Amino acid sequence: MEVRDGLSPVGLGQDGPSVLTVDWSNGHQGRLGVRHLRLACPCAQCVDEWTGEKTLDPDSVPDSVRPISIDPVGLYGIQIEWSDGHSTGIYTYETLGKLCACPDCTPTGETPI
Amino acid sequence: MPSTQDVYSALKSVPMPELGADKDVVSAAAVRNLVISGGAVSFDLVLAIGDGVPEERVQERQAACESAVKGLADVTSVHVKTSVRPVPVANQRSIMPHVKHVIAVASGKGGVGKSTTAANLAVALHRQGHRVGLLDADIYGPSVPTMFGVSGRPEPAGEKQIHPMHAHGISLMSIGFLVDPDTPMVWRGPMVHGALTQFMEQVVWGELDYVVVDMPPGTGDAQLTLTQKAPLSGAVIVTTPQEVSLVDARKGLKMFEQVKVPVLGIIENMSYFVCNSCDAEHDIFLRGGGRRAAEEMSVPFLGEIPLQSGIAASGDGGLPIVLSAPESAASKAFLELASTLHKRLGHAGAEPSGLQSMAWKD
Repeated sequence: MEVRDGLSPVGLGQDGPSVLTVDWSNGHQGRLGVRHLRLACPCAQCVDEWTGEKTLDPDSVPDSVRPISIDPVGLYGIQIEWSDGHSTGIYTYETLGKLCACPDCTPTGETPI
Repeated sequence: MPSTQDVYSALKSVPMPELGADKDVVSAAAVRNLVISGGAVSFDLVLAIGDGVPEERVQERQAACESAVKGLADVTSVHVKTSVRPVPVANQRSIMPHVKHVIAVASGKGGVGKSTTAANLAVALHRQGHRVGLLDADIYGPSVPTMFGVSGRPEPAGEKQIHPMHAHGISLMSIGFLVDPDTPMVWRGPMVHGALTQFMEQVVWGELDYVVVDMPPGTGDAQLTLTQKAPLSGAVIVTTPQEVSLVDARKGLKMFEQVKVPVLGIIENMSYFVCNSCDAEHDIFLRGGGRRAAEEMSVPFLGEIPLQSGIAASGDGGLPIVLSAPESAASKAFLELASTLHKRLGHAGAEPSGLQSMAWKD
């Protein structure tokens, strides 16, 4: 889902052990698999700052990775403390929209959850 | 062998006063992974009561749980694994919890009159009957002590907090109150981040309608810290009319857009010069640039502040011009700015809507 014109999350929730739900201000109900979210971490340890190339090795992230806590960052993103000890990534609202894996956003069913 | 029900009922006798008078370890969901095998009972005790809780209290709680379960018939051993987690954030901000609105006064360029605008905006809001604080976020070049004629050190409030200073009815905080006026702050970014975070978290701001933040110029560490940590209701961009200032003002504005802080508008400082002898308005810096930039960026234009003798003297004398010459054109512009901002923000809720923190449940 494309995030613009002031679209923002109004609530975060949990569906089962490994799905983060995001309620958006336009009524969209986003769903994100937490391991997928961990692998998409945009921080400078996981993505090369200059080239944008992903440097995080997916095999280094346990399948069982879970958030421990999720905190808002200003009015534009969230920061997640992960069970693998990582916590430096800030997921902007745009990123959360792009990564959304709800059935509406991934109609072909290849939901990376 | 005891039933799960028995164990939970026994544990309900252990209170969790940190989370409410009627809470116990079961209703607080602190008991996890309960396993009963014969007479052996084991579970995890996850105490979401905050870091830095005294060790004795954690041990006491664990001991209370153990003895409650041991009191049950057929229980031969109890094994409790205890861990402590931070308190889940309730529906309240931890930063400046009783401040209704935080307004950043920013620019791209330095020297355009941010501090003068911030100081006079704070005083103007106060004159219009609001409770106001002013946070000087310019660590490298604090102006608030001079502009309000205040010196001295803030009073401590308990062990970890300090009270703001006060002048002209405004609560004030600035790095200038904490170090010698002539000492340069030769600091890298992380130190600036730490100091600003402390200004927000460890100053007893109390109940205020507005806190005006006098931002340093640019789009760097200090701006990021404030936009990430402060519950900003919006930002006012100060510019002078020339293109060389507008270029940076646009960057400042775009930074706030990126981090979703509403831009309340652009105000043009040094719009025109009012000559002492003829009262005519002389446009010496290409007046109108601020208005054009506001139109171009689709944000409100908040007014023109003249270049006027008296503004500088007032600032240096510790009495902002809104107080020293309230009838001057500059003061009228600042008072107008204050009422425009209050019209925009005053009726809104106590704070910008934002997400709440959440703890993941295993």
